[in-house]
Amino acid sequence: MSKITVAGVRQNIQQLLDYSQNEKKRNFLETVELQIGLKNYDPQRDKRFSGTIKLPSVPRPNMTICILGDQHDLDRAKHHGIDAMSTEDLKKLNKNKKLIKKLARKYDAFLASDGLIKQIPRLLGPGLSKAGKFPTPISHAEDMANKVTDVKSTIKFQLKKVLCLGVAVGNVGMTEDELIANVMLAINYLVSLLKKGWQNVGSLVLKASMSPPKRLY
Amino acid sequence: MVKRKLGALEKVEADLPNLQHKIRRDPKSYIEDFRAQHYQYESHREIFMAAPTSATDTGIISLRELIDFVAHVADCYPDITKDFSQQLMDILTQHHLVLEPELREKIVGSLVLLRKKELLDSATLLQTLFPILITTPSKTLRALIFQKILMDLRSSNAKTTNHKLNRTMQTVLYNLVTSDRVSSKGLWAIKLIRELWKRQIWSDAKTVEVMKEASLSENEKVIIGGVRFFLGGDQEREEMEDESSDEEAIDLGKVKHQVGINKKTRKKSRAVEKAKATVKRKERKKNQPHPLNFSALHLLHDPQGFAEALFSKHLQNSKSKLNLEQKLQVLQLVTRLVGLHKLHIMQLYSYFQKYLTPRQPSVTSFLASLAQASHDLVPPDVLEPLIQKIANEFVSEASASLVATAGLNAIREICARQPLAMNETLLQDLVMYRKSKDKGVVMAARGLLGLYRDLNPEMLKRRDRGKEASIGLRSGEKKEKRFGEEETGGIEGLELLEQWKEEERKKKRAEKGLPSDAEDGEDEEDEAADWDAWNVEDDEDSDDSGGWIDVQSDAEIDLSDSDDEKDARPSKKAKQGAYNEENANSETAQDKTEAQKPNIATIATTRILTPADLAKLQELRTQAAVDALVPGAKGRRGQTNASRHKDDPLTAEEIEGLAALSAGKATREERIAHAKEGKTDRAEHKSITAKRKERKEEQGKSTTNKEKARRKNIFMTLGKARNKNKRSLVETRNILKAHQDRQKRGGRRGNNG
Repeated sequence: MSKITVAGVRQNIQQLLDYSQNEKKRNFLETVELQIGLKNYDPQRDKRFSGTIKLPSVPRPNMTICILGDQHDLDRAKHHGIDAMSTEDLKKLNKNKKLIKKLARKYDAFLASDGLIKQIPRLLGPGLSKAGKFPTPISHAEDMANKVTDVKSTIKFQLKKVLCLGVAVGNVGMTEDELIANVMLAINYLVSLLKKGWQNVGSLVLKASMSPPKRLY
Repeated sequence: MVKRKLGALEKVEADLPNLQHKIRRDPKSYIEDFRAQHYQYESHREIFMAAPTSATDTGIISLRELIDFVAHVADCYPDITKDFSQQLMDILTQHHLVLEPELREKIVGSLVLLRKKELLDSATLLQTLFPILITTPSKTLRALIFQKILMDLRSSNAKTTNHKLNRTMQTVLYNLVTSDRVSSKGLWAIKLIRELWKRQIWSDAKTVEVMKEASLSENEKVIIGGVRFFLGGDQEREEMEDESSDEEAIDLGKVKHQVGINKKTRKKSRAVEKAKATVKRKERKKNQPHPLNFSALHLLHDPQGFAEALFSKHLQNSKSKLNLEQKLQVLQLVTRLVGLHKLHIMQLYSYFQKYLTPRQPSVTSFLASLAQASHDLVPPDVLEPLIQKIANEFVSEASASLVATAGLNAIREICARQPLAMNETLLQDLVMYRKSKDKGVVMAARGLLGLYRDLNPEMLKRRDRGKEASIGLRSGEKKEKRFGEEETGGIEGLELLEQWKEEERKKKRAEKGLPSDAEDGEDEEDEAADWDAWNVEDDEDSDDSGGWIDVQSDAEIDLSDSDDEKDARPSKKAKQGAYNEENANSETAQDKTEAQKPNIATIATTRILTPADLAKLQELRTQAAVDALVPGAKGRRGQTNASRHKDDPLTAEEIEGLAALSAGKATREERIAHAKEGKTDRAEHKSITAKRKERKEEQGKSTTNKEKARRKNIFMTLGKARNKNKRSLVETRNILKAHQDRQKRGGRRGNNG
């Protein structure tokens, strides 16, 4: 396809939402994913890009988050109803690789208190960063609920060993406009990351978990 | 060799090439002759197999020739020769130790020939040859077999990748490396893989896995082979690619020109066709998408495990037999892995502690490795004692300037990767060295200063912060990056684009005489136009704002350089972005910036950025940066390693840095050499005409008549010149007349008379 228009994106999103909300409604909240194929991209010469961007609305509200914190943060986490672990809990894992792996798999993201985060590599070893879930710092001054939403609405573009990547940009419970805003921002950010802009983009496909794919570009 | 007698048997042998030729032309009619020869071969072979050691000279020679003959025509009689390849393989595998070298070579050659004729499949051939390659004591045979194996793998992967063959071969190599970790046989696997990696025939994860096992073996040679592969294999591959693209450059223009001059023959025209075809093929190749060439370091399955194993096995282990140089190479690999994949190996940092003294041999390599090993997820408290130690050991008034430079550079490199590892007093202390007398030390200290002005000016003394950093601090744009914090990216300079669009729209409206807030239906049209103008460069030229940038083009070039540098340090990039934006807005009022913030989101979420938009974005970004930096124009201070790729290693040379500046007074020659270093080599001073002539000659163009006349041997012209004086009056007149006529006609070749 030669170009991508706002109208085209809107139409595709409408179809997508229509399919998952009316035609075949599933028993869970489907996630909308943006799949990107790159072309003319030489991973060795061009810089390997990776970047994170905060979307206007949370793509996956059901993301599980765990707070690794000191007493103050534990209390706050309890107040907001978020899972939390203290230093003692972490020490109990005893650097056991399996347990840490289990912990990393259980949650989608981690937050850690400012004071504690520097000890994380010592306490837990490489397990968390291996899973790509190294905690984000949170200070006592910051509002925890805000921070959690921040983390939830931040998506990460990272190229692995293949020339395609996918990111969750929304869910079918969102309104059309929210979804469009998220998709647009994600696309624009991705293109701005690439060295040759649109010339590096091979394809853009939008799809919900159980829907047929919609090709945008 | 003893001179042979010509027996009855050998007369037939002498005819073998002749017979081969005849069989090629008409296999059916010569089948009986072939049968006879094949029978002879069989009998010779049986004699040989019965007693391979006691075979006579003549017997071996005739066997060799018969093998050659049968191999060459085997494809004509597949049913007669169906056991032939198997027999050859048997001879080779059973008796390769005692075989006469020439016969051995012939058998290997024949097997490869049979493979080429598709009478034998690659897998079988490789499985026969490879064990011999590993076991044979003969150097020539090893070289031969290695070359043949390589060739076979290349040819079977030439058109399409032969996954099946590659997989079996890789498994063989993997088993070779893993089965016997003590022996040096693994070297062959390394050699083979390195060659194939270089030629991009094997570039997958499994290959890397074999090399990983090799680096974890027990034998020093194998270890170092594996480690070297990871450190330099990719570079080798890149060089190879460059080379191959250079060497076959055909100048089509030149070829065509030559054909125009010289006599036209069929051969020449064929050559032109061939050249055209190659050029076309190359063009097509150029336009093809890149093959996926991830570097070996990225293809590792479990970098953390690998790095840990390497470290504990070769470096921490006191029984390791590696010498210092080899250990350094392993260390380099480990630290590169740590830096690249952001691994956590806590013991690694304490391991460095004892090597960080100026007396340690090749200490700069250790420093470079340490810097490589630091990244923003390393806890600052493990790096801090190391930095302290470097500062104490290397950087003092008493230490030699070379040493101090290396120390400061190392500290800078570490801090660029993990700024939190520095404490305030130490930093302020180190920055003071910029007042040193030695130039190298001054540069290094300035580098550190510049770095912290960027990253965390609060740690510097107030008077060291500099103007921009102070402004940044006051406006609250510059903040220390917390540990583990990851900057969320934005689209850099987006608000500039928005502003620009707004202005453009207003301008257009004004031209059309519309009110500036009308419904913008033309926006879509704009967009369409942008997409049509896919070619970004053209679009850029048509912009009306190009005029005044040209005036400051110097500064712009300077700046784009420094932009690259900033990009080279990923940890800083995001900060830099914020900083640029801040600069862009510094001329506008503070409150305006605030007012714009909601807009940032709107453009990115409601429109798709077109190629033209992106180009404009880039332009605006540089322009804004130019505006900010023109008064100072010293943006590049302290960041020596420009355009560094994230994956590139940090070398000891970079740590030594500008040590050359501090190495006492250089001799005149040295200074000249130093000055010349960066310049492109200009051969010698020559007149333009002479250069042009040279160029012409290089391109193979012919000379003019004038030049030919000038170059003509004097003795050839002497007689004519002498004759001229001896002419009679009549002759002179005739010649003159002929000349005039010729002039009127328009020269010797004129056709109007």
